[in-house]
Amino acid sequence: MADDDMFKQFKEHSVAEFFKKNRQMLGFTGKVRSLTIVVHEFVTNSLDACEEAGVLPEIFVQAEELGEDHYRLTIKDNGPGIPKTHLGKALGQMLAGTKFHRYLQQRGQQGIGAAACTMFSYITTGQNTKAISCHNGTMLVANISIDYKKNKPVIEEVEETLAAETGLTVIAEFKDVRYERSNHGIYEYLRRTALANPHCTITLIEPDNQRSMFPRSVEKNPPKPFEIKPHPLGIGTHDLLEFARQNKESKRISSFLQETFTRVSAGKVEELRTLLPNINFNKNPDQITWEEAEAIVKAFSQVKWIAPTTDSLVPIGKDQVELSFRNIFNPEVLVVTERSPKVYRGGIPFMVEVGIAYGGGIAAAGKKGDVMRFANRVPLLFDSGGCAITETIKTMDWKRYDVKDFEEEPIAVLVNLVSVHVPYTSAGKQAISNEEDVMEEIKFALREASRGVQKYLAGKRRAHESANKRKVITRYTQQLASDLATLSGEKKDEIEKQLMKIIEEKYSNEETAGGDEATPPNDENREKETGSDQEEGDAE
Amino acid sequence: MTAEKTTIDTNAMKKLGNLGTSMVQQVKKGEGPTFETTLRTKSNTIFDESAGCLRTGDKKEQRKYLSVAQARTFMQTVAVAAKSRQFLKENLHTSIRGLFYQLKFSLGEDIDEDLFTEQSESNGLIEDLEVALKIKREDLNLTTDRKGFVAGPMVITDRFGGDETTIDLEKQGRSGWSIPSDVDNGMEIKKLDADYVLVVEKDALWQRLNEDKFWKKENCLLVTPKGQSTRGTRRLLRKLADKKLPVYCLMDCDAWGWYIYWTIKTGSMNLAYLGRDFAVPEARFLGVTMSDIKEFSFLDKLTIKAKDVDVKRAEEMLGYPWINRHDDWVRELKMVLKTRKKIEQDALQGQRLTFVGEYIKDKIEKKKWLS
Repeated sequence: MADDDMFKQFKEHSVAEFFKKNRQMLGFTGKVRSLTIVVHEFVTNSLDACEEAGVLPEIFVQAEELGEDHYRLTIKDNGPGIPKTHLGKALGQMLAGTKFHRYLQQRGQQGIGAAACTMFSYITTGQNTKAISCHNGTMLVANISIDYKKNKPVIEEVEETLAAETGLTVIAEFKDVRYERSNHGIYEYLRRTALANPHCTITLIEPDNQRSMFPRSVEKNPPKPFEIKPHPLGIGTHDLLEFARQNKESKRISSFLQETFTRVSAGKVEELRTLLPNINFNKNPDQITWEEAEAIVKAFSQVKWIAPTTDSLVPIGKDQVELSFRNIFNPEVLVVTERSPKVYRGGIPFMVEVGIAYGGGIAAAGKKGDVMRFANRVPLLFDSGGCAITETIKTMDWKRYDVKDFEEEPIAVLVNLVSVHVPYTSAGKQAISNEEDVMEEIKFALREASRGVQKYLAGKRRAHESANKRKVITRYTQQLASDLATLSGEKKDEIEKQLMKIIEEKYSNEETAGGDEATPPNDENREKETGSDQEEGDAE
Repeated sequence: MTAEKTTIDTNAMKKLGNLGTSMVQQVKKGEGPTFETTLRTKSNTIFDESAGCLRTGDKKEQRKYLSVAQARTFMQTVAVAAKSRQFLKENLHTSIRGLFYQLKFSLGEDIDEDLFTEQSESNGLIEDLEVALKIKREDLNLTTDRKGFVAGPMVITDRFGGDETTIDLEKQGRSGWSIPSDVDNGMEIKKLDADYVLVVEKDALWQRLNEDKFWKKENCLLVTPKGQSTRGTRRLLRKLADKKLPVYCLMDCDAWGWYIYWTIKTGSMNLAYLGRDFAVPEARFLGVTMSDIKEFSFLDKLTIKAKDVDVKRAEEMLGYPWINRHDDWVRELKMVLKTRKKIEQDALQGQRLTFVGEYIKDKIEKKKWLS
């Protein structure tokens, strides 16, 4: 008797209970982080939607404080909006996204989906999420909730009118969250998003009504990344099975492998056949067992492959990073390095972009040793401790690049890792794992950019020293000119004028050319050398 | 030496003027002014065998005004030169300390720095100018403290402060004639009848011998530098040696006594740049020597234990080529190192006060001296 009841109870509460207990798995850990994660979900969706539709993104975010640890978020974009038929699915069904398992460089790869936010809102406040979608000339205002027994969205239509513009606005309340202007907060998240996405304009209104705007610096959307076939070396057992299950065209494993993956030729399949005599390559792919998939993946690593093409990667771009940095920080010096694409684990294309900015607006903003991590342009705000980017920056010998104390200097470092498959450390997707090839590239990129910064800093230091030298010498010039006039009988003013001119020439040249090869004063040597001699009688 | 006051003064004035003019020429050509002088380091000090004295070598040092490390020193050097020229023009003398005070002023209202802050800064620069322009500081109307005294058969004339005075060194009573810092400019030896010069290290012994009218009995010039010789004393001894007078020295047999003697004879490393004008290679060391202890048994009881500084000095001296080339000195110093004893010249009065006179006469007669 109790079994049935228990099962019934269990079933009724499963989704909500599971969600409540496993919030952290979806990223909803910590009050500040949870709020940022919500913004992250909606903003990445908005950016992807705008780019997909070829619209320059304009995103508006507002956070209002309704009570203690109780906030309302409004996120509005100028994208194409969502048609009525898809609205519920997009905002109310878990794991309903279109991004799952696509070999495409995309932001949403790390997304847990907007539905999770709807759910989060509901379980903390009991409120529905309000969506205003302007799509194709129609404005739809709807309340969306989730029938969590069925994991199905419930749309409560409020009104439908004509609309001249397009876009999606989502309004939702959350409890057990907190707004903070810290390195983990929304402000920082949006600032960095703007930095890595110079084609978008972001406006933020904070709970204290402070309005910040990050205007776009590029009037063009980045090229759309195109989907590529995965490379055998970038594949795990689970992936292989997933691809086999989704396969429709191929009737045999041999043709499935050639169709699904890049660089797999008939010859390579033959090589696999000889390596795996026990596997029937002629059977239907949907009959691959876990063991067979495992064996195939293992065999992949024994075959020599041509590296995958890397042209599918779309970095932010050197010029864009520069524009963006200037726009947001207006630093004194800025060096951006864009490395050519490489491959990690033999089969996954990636590339690294690094921007290092120093002084100027960074000092003014009070930023010191600011590390800004990005994966496919998405800011990584959390779990910095275990991140390959953080670690590589920390282990850099900054002193070699004239940065005496990285943590204490007005320096900001941007690292963007671009890949069709970003190697995250965990499901939280906030840190890059210590892939050797990736770390190498990050290191090279950092060094390359640092050299540029060093050049500037060394020049600046020289100029500073030069100015000091000039000052030192200038202060003696009047006296020298007057004494030279006494000795030579020439006019003091003339001598002084000429001397000043010589000093100016020498030290203004030096500021650009550098290096005063001043010989050390001999006075010191003399004192040392004759110091042991006894005093002369004429000393007083 | 023999140069007249007027020629030397004009010479120094001219050299100072040339220094300024050449620097101004550099400036007019758009170059940073430079100042070249001879390096006065120990490594650039050599023993000139033919002259028998220490002198500076050929290593030059160039100072640049445009070098940050040298700018201040450069400016100070020129300031010293300009100030010296002013003294010469006004025909006024001052000490190097007086010069320092003349130059100790702020560089300007808005500059928190003095032209000179310590005298040690200006002292070195005066020496630089002496070397670079090949003049003596006395030629720049810079005086030094007086310390030495002379008595004996010599008459000099002294033109100073607008007057000319004739001084008879036999008529200086118990105090003797105080040797001025400059014995070249405005000073002339009118009459010199002495047979030799006797230099005694200590004033006390000088007074003893003066009371005995030793200089009269021996027809010598009795000099005491009162310890280390001043430039004036050394210069006077050089002039007297040029008059073919033998110069005999009576010093303590210890580190200080040896040092005083060798400074008179070869010059010192500090002032090596003065060269032969301030050295008397002809000087002889009468005593006190270690062999005196053997000869005069009463001295044996009057020896003192040599201090570390004495031993160290003796060892150093054995290493100097200008000393170890004299076998008699090598023997003497080795004996000091062996016995670890020293003896003061005052010990010569230990037996009876007048013994010292007999001792000197005996030494000179029998040529019992060290070279």
